[in-house]
Amino acid sequence: MIYLDNGATSFHKPPGVYRAVSQALRRCANPGRGGYAAAMEAAETVYGCRETAAELFGCQPEQVVFTANCTHALNIAIRTLVKGGETVVVSGFEHNAVTRPLHALKANLRTAGRKLFDWDNMLFDFERALKRGAKAAVFTHVSNVFGYILPVEEMAALCQHYRVPFVIDAAQSAGVLPVHLERLGADFIAMPGHKGLLGPQGTGILLCGREPDPLICGGTGSASAQQEMPDFLPDRAEAGTLNVPGIAGLYEGLRYLRHMGIRNVFEREHKAALACIRMLESLGFRVFSGDHQAATVSFLPNMDCEDAAQLLARQGIAVRAGLHCAPLAHQSAGTLDTGTVRVSFGHDAALQQVEALRRGVEVLSA
Amino acid sequence: MKNYFITFRSVTFAQKGERVLKRSGINCLLRRTPKALTTRECGYCLQLRPGDFQQALALLEAAQVQFGKIYAMDFAGEFEEMAL
Repeated sequence: MIYLDNGATSFHKPPGVYRAVSQALRRCANPGRGGYAAAMEAAETVYGCRETAAELFGCQPEQVVFTANCTHALNIAIRTLVKGGETVVVSGFEHNAVTRPLHALKANLRTAGRKLFDWDNMLFDFERALKRGAKAAVFTHVSNVFGYILPVEEMAALCQHYRVPFVIDAAQSAGVLPVHLERLGADFIAMPGHKGLLGPQGTGILLCGREPDPLICGGTGSASAQQEMPDFLPDRAEAGTLNVPGIAGLYEGLRYLRHMGIRNVFEREHKAALACIRMLESLGFRVFSGDHQAATVSFLPNMDCEDAAQLLARQGIAVRAGLHCAPLAHQSAGTLDTGTVRVSFGHDAALQQVEALRRGVEVLSA
Repeated sequence: MKNYFITFRSVTFAQKGERVLKRSGINCLLRRTPKALTTRECGYCLQLRPGDFQQALALLEAAQVQFGKIYAMDFAGEFEEMAL
């Protein structure tokens, strides 16, 4: 299979990830709940992952909260900052993981920056939206549909200038682009463990620049006599048994990234993405591309996008078609009615994948 | 010889402290806090030898690792809380 759906999840993990998951299942008990060897090995695995994530993402280990996925992390962050009915600034390229929790809270969404790959438009709109006052801002680092890299450093600086707390959705950027909690000054940064960080599904991380409100309550292995959730991180946001096998795999994914270098991973993916854009354009497809693009490319085939993806699947090529759980992004780009076919490269990106895709899409254009 | 115990509110802080000390060459044991030291709590502590105790405290404070109380255990296994 030519796997080009890394925007959904990474599929080919570094070998150490598979080994670590299997080993954790055999050797790890519940972390923070006992002093015997298997409990301590679990605790050691979890802390090692926490410490490595902290090193990669510019924070202290206790500021790394493990979650079930990026959506879970975003829900904790959003429900900490937004209580209901307030105005929240978002970009025009948000995923449902951001907009649905805000909708559930009956937030008044003020959408800024609807033009693809246009930083001037984003920053002008975003500042104008913040100036009017807002309870919070939530914005993605990279559009999951179009690979558009938003100017998050400048957006973070604007939030700080206007004293608006903010959350960054790093679902598509963690492991590929620099993400640094302290430098960005974010209240929260949410990320999945299973995409660019190369861990297993069922893992996510919330970097906490402030104390979160617990989304769920329960045992933490600490402060056990009191009925309130602990007032310290990470326990405050980690009720219940952690996904230790998942975290063990995530730990190996992080170690792999640290070894490879995030910049090198990005350059490899980006090279493939640029070749993909050129190839698709040469075949006459409408391709959504521009400056500030990561390794995700959307295009419009000359047919129903789901049929196109199905034809590619029959040739052993895995891409994703439709709305990609991001109707707001499609609305911004004018593709809400058609959807797009999305090609997203991963850490194993190679020009051979682009060549295989070319053979596949030539069938579509025939 | 006395042993010293530094308590922590969670296993994460105890592990952070353990890393700080071990990276500075101080040997310590990360373990569950003896029940005699906790009031209806569960927790973790670092057990240290007397010669390392003062330096360990200084390192933890310098690294801003939050810790709880400090106890000395005598030959008879009795604990005494130490003033910070």
